Amino acid sequence: MSFLSIQNLHKSYGATPIFSDIDCEIGQGEFVTLLGPSGCGKSTLLRCIAGLTGVNGGRILLGGQDLVPLAPQKRGIGMVFQSYALFPNMTVQQNVAFGLRMQQVGKAESAQRVGEALAMVELGDFAARYPHQLSGGQCQRVALARSLVTRPRLLLLDEPLSALDARIRKHLREQIRAIQQELGLTTIFVTHDQEEALVLSDRIFLMNAGKIVQSGNAETLYTAPVDAFAAGFIGNYNLLDAEAASRLLGRPIGGRIAIRPESIRLGGQGGIEAQIRSHSLLGNVIRYRVEARGVELLVDVLNRSAADMHASGQRIVLNIEANAIREVA
Amino acid sequence: MSRAETSPASLYHRLVVWLLFAILLLPLAATLLYSLSTSWSATMLPDGLTFKWYLALWSDARFLAAFGQSLLVCLGALLLAVLLILPLLFVVHYHFPKLDGLMNILILLPFAVPPVVSSVGLLQVYGSGPLAMVGTPWILIGCYFTIALPFMYRAITNNLQAINLRDLMDAAHLLGASTWKAALLVVLPNLRKGLMVSLFLSFSFLFGEFVFANLLVGTRYETLQVYLNNMRNSSGHFNSALVISYFFFVLVFTWAANRLNKDKT
Repeated sequence: MSFLSIQNLHKSYGATPIFSDIDCEIGQGEFVTLLGPSGCGKSTLLRCIAGLTGVNGGRILLGGQDLVPLAPQKRGIGMVFQSYALFPNMTVQQNVAFGLRMQQVGKAESAQRVGEALAMVELGDFAARYPHQLSGGQCQRVALARSLVTRPRLLLLDEPLSALDARIRKHLREQIRAIQQELGLTTIFVTHDQEEALVLSDRIFLMNAGKIVQSGNAETLYTAPVDAFAAGFIGNYNLLDAEAASRLLGRPIGGRIAIRPESIRLGGQGGIEAQIRSHSLLGNVIRYRVEARGVELLVDVLNRSAADMHASGQRIVLNIEANAIREVA
Repeated sequence: MSRAETSPASLYHRLVVWLLFAILLLPLAATLLYSLSTSWSATMLPDGLTFKWYLALWSDARFLAAFGQSLLVCLGALLLAVLLILPLLFVVHYHFPKLDGLMNILILLPFAVPPVVSSVGLLQVYGSGPLAMVGTPWILIGCYFTIALPFMYRAITNNLQAINLRDLMDAAHLLGASTWKAALLVVLPNLRKGLMVSLFLSFSFLFGEFVFANLLVGTRYETLQVYLNNMRNSSGHFNSALVISYFFFVLVFTWAANRLNKDKT
């Protein structure tokens, strides 16, 4: 029995459909990510679940109750925004207490719950500050505490990390995941960043042009993309059409194929003659641009030592494992 | 900073600024001196100093009435503006963002039509009939409202755009606040700065308004500027005292407003 069930959800602005026939089931306590390029409808879907945007058809069942006719105030959903959306005129304490104030929770209980929520995001000492006195990461943690303090049934995170710098982003995403697991909170996370999605999620819904293209856990999404879009969006797949693929592999190939750059081995015995075009150092990985039989490929190699580095122009052989070649629609 | 202070260029810069100050302040200083002098005609400096012009002015019932009436009309117009513009802005920016373009054109109209021209129109419409308001303070309040509108609309719009209205409203809604409560508790306090700045600006401007006041109401509800105009044939010392009093009031008011606005943020 799923906790959140979205059935036949349809949304359009005028004649322009944003998404149609969205169906998905999310279990209690699951951390689900909606991943997709901007404009794919993922944020709109999230806003529809929250009730901030109306839908044109379909049902959203949360614990068996249809949310669609309910106002956002009545849905018991917490949400964190990319822009933090903290109330600038209120202190951290007042921001977090706002939801409880609206529920007319007593002063003593409110103070206690606010204290707990702030402790959870490690901001207990900042209660008296105003949002403009906090860093971006701290602001987003306040926003998280503010949405958790009302004990929502469902937590929605709309690109909460996109406005933060890389180091804080990594730290905060671990914190979000830890809090989510501690509370067993059903969570939907929206992002366009594949790394975030792969690291955080129990399950990923990959969206494109208003459709859920593929859903599954990180491993499935990464190793078994269902189509060219999925392969192109996740990882840095080499996408080859039938003609180029046949030429490269020296045998007839029926359709488009995708090859992950790290599944191609440079050097070794036999294999395909190739030449290094260029390389770029990504840190722990060296990414080569290689030409083989008139086809250009990306090859990722673990950066073990500087001595292993191949210079541009160097001739080399490639080995592609048969099971790394994936046909995509 | 210190480098700029020692270079010869900075001396030149400061000289220009001080010169500008002197040019701007000279007439005012002369007026001030004139208002304090017993008589000042054929000599280089006034014959003697006195406060009698100020005493005469501030004990003149007609002046005090005009002063109070000016205050009343300005405050009335600004109150009307606040009551109408705040909800209007909220509706425009939250529900119908497309209307902002139309509003931007509408609020320019009071500037596009010169006061002398529009007051003729106002005299036609409100001179007689069911809305005969000419000669009463009500028409001034209504008219001043349209003058305050552009200042207030622009300043508060800038303020609104800076606070990310939609996300704040969404966040408040999800935390259980009704639209009314969200507007009152979350949006309104964040507009205080823009609101205050535009109110003080409008007030200073309206307090010195003459054309509408003279043409639409005249002596029937004398405002400060109309009083000043009517007194133009009396003693120059007396008028100077009036001008300085007026200037001093606006100065103190603006300064106090600035202080008030700064302390709270």
